[in-house]
Amino acid sequence: MIYCFYIGICLALIILQTTVLPNLPLFDRFYDLLIPFVIYLALYRAVREGLILVCFFGFIMDNLSGGPFGLYLSTYCWLFIGVKWTIKYVQVANKVLLSLVAVAGVLLENLIFLGASSIVGPGLVVGGDTVRIIVFQMIWALGTGPLFLILFRHLQYWFNNLVSGIFARRSNPGL
Amino acid sequence: MFSKKMVLIIGVIVLITVNIIVLSATSKRYTAFGFGHVAISLVAPFQEVVTRSIRFAKDLWKHYFFLVSLSQENIVLKDSLNQAIEDKNQWHETKLANTRLRSLLNFQKTLTNRVIPAEVIGIDPSAWFKTIIIDKGKSDGIEKGLPVVVARGIAGQIIETSNHYSKVMLIIDRNSAVDAMVQRSRARGVIKGESTGQCRFDYVLRKHDVKVGDTVVASGLDGVYPKGLRLGAVSELVKRDAEIFLEITVAPYVDFEKLEEVLVILNPQQHKFTSEP
Repeated sequence: MIYCFYIGICLALIILQTTVLPNLPLFDRFYDLLIPFVIYLALYRAVREGLILVCFFGFIMDNLSGGPFGLYLSTYCWLFIGVKWTIKYVQVANKVLLSLVAVAGVLLENLIFLGASSIVGPGLVVGGDTVRIIVFQMIWALGTGPLFLILFRHLQYWFNNLVSGIFARRSNPGL
Repeated sequence: MFSKKMVLIIGVIVLITVNIIVLSATSKRYTAFGFGHVAISLVAPFQEVVTRSIRFAKDLWKHYFFLVSLSQENIVLKDSLNQAIEDKNQWHETKLANTRLRSLLNFQKTLTNRVIPAEVIGIDPSAWFKTIIIDKGKSDGIEKGLPVVVARGIAGQIIETSNHYSKVMLIIDRNSAVDAMVQRSRARGVIKGESTGQCRFDYVLRKHDVKVGDTVVASGLDGVYPKGLRLGAVSELVKRDAEIFLEITVAPYVDFEKLEEVLVILNPQQHKFTSEP
């Protein structure tokens, strides 16, 4: 049940990212919306549960993207592992730190993409436009990253309450 | 023998190495080990519904709320129409001349282009890769490698298909390469995509005559794009003394930001040259 819920969120984010955002001015260079979700899974879910979902999201994104297969899969896995490792040493409960984690996630994804492109692709030219895109995405992540994390948390609570309500009604029809 | 920290560091290095090797292997060709079409089939129907809804809302806005500016636009359009009629007459003359010349050269068209229109329903989730998803697939006769065009010129090439959807790599993608030539001087080279949305025109020799503003068309020699289809205009030209090739930037004619409908050429035109008897 919980996996269906997460897959639903993943699909909604992918559709938002590939169909709605490109049509909105200013949002056409928005960062990958699955980054906050992967961070959320790393922060609040168990390793096994999170890793399965992260691999699934990576697989879907790799198939929708024109990059080498496995690029998103690798990025999400490294991001998940990185955040899991970070929270062993740093408490990331407050919103400022959440913003920084989101920014770090966006930066990590872009660095992996650029690194992979320069190693396995047709060569990389880091020009002003490349830097502009990355800075633009990081600013977006700084402002909206924690909001997404809070939203996911609220959705999770809402879903848990909904499921527990349904089960309570089934076990006690008088309610 | 090894400390825990050392094992961890070695483990991470091994993982990174394996990761790079796997990415190198998969970058050679677009592959999802046969499951690619499953993922596209899973997401594309939702993309289609959302895209159509957005387009419907946009059309509604354009047709009903923007009527105020229509009268002014009408005047401008009438002027453009007059200009277009004049241009059409000239083109008609050119077409007739072209027909005569082709018959002189015994230039035969063995196949006529059969095209299928498709709607763009999703774009690449990453800013670094330039691909789109269209709403036509194998069931419509689309195959990997077919060229995708719009009225303004070449858009890209099919790189993956599922039953009802296909993925198109645009010519501005860094992995794209189109054998091309300058329409005026017939100087040949290869058009490659750049992440900036522009294209590079590589391997054009210094001795060739190329000017800013020249139109670049497909040469047809790559076996993918029909000869003569427009790609873009030369926007920047650098001639270095030490280099044997020119550094050319080409601005594509197609506005990839506003790509909504495309045409897939099902049987790319093939030309057959016959020698004089």
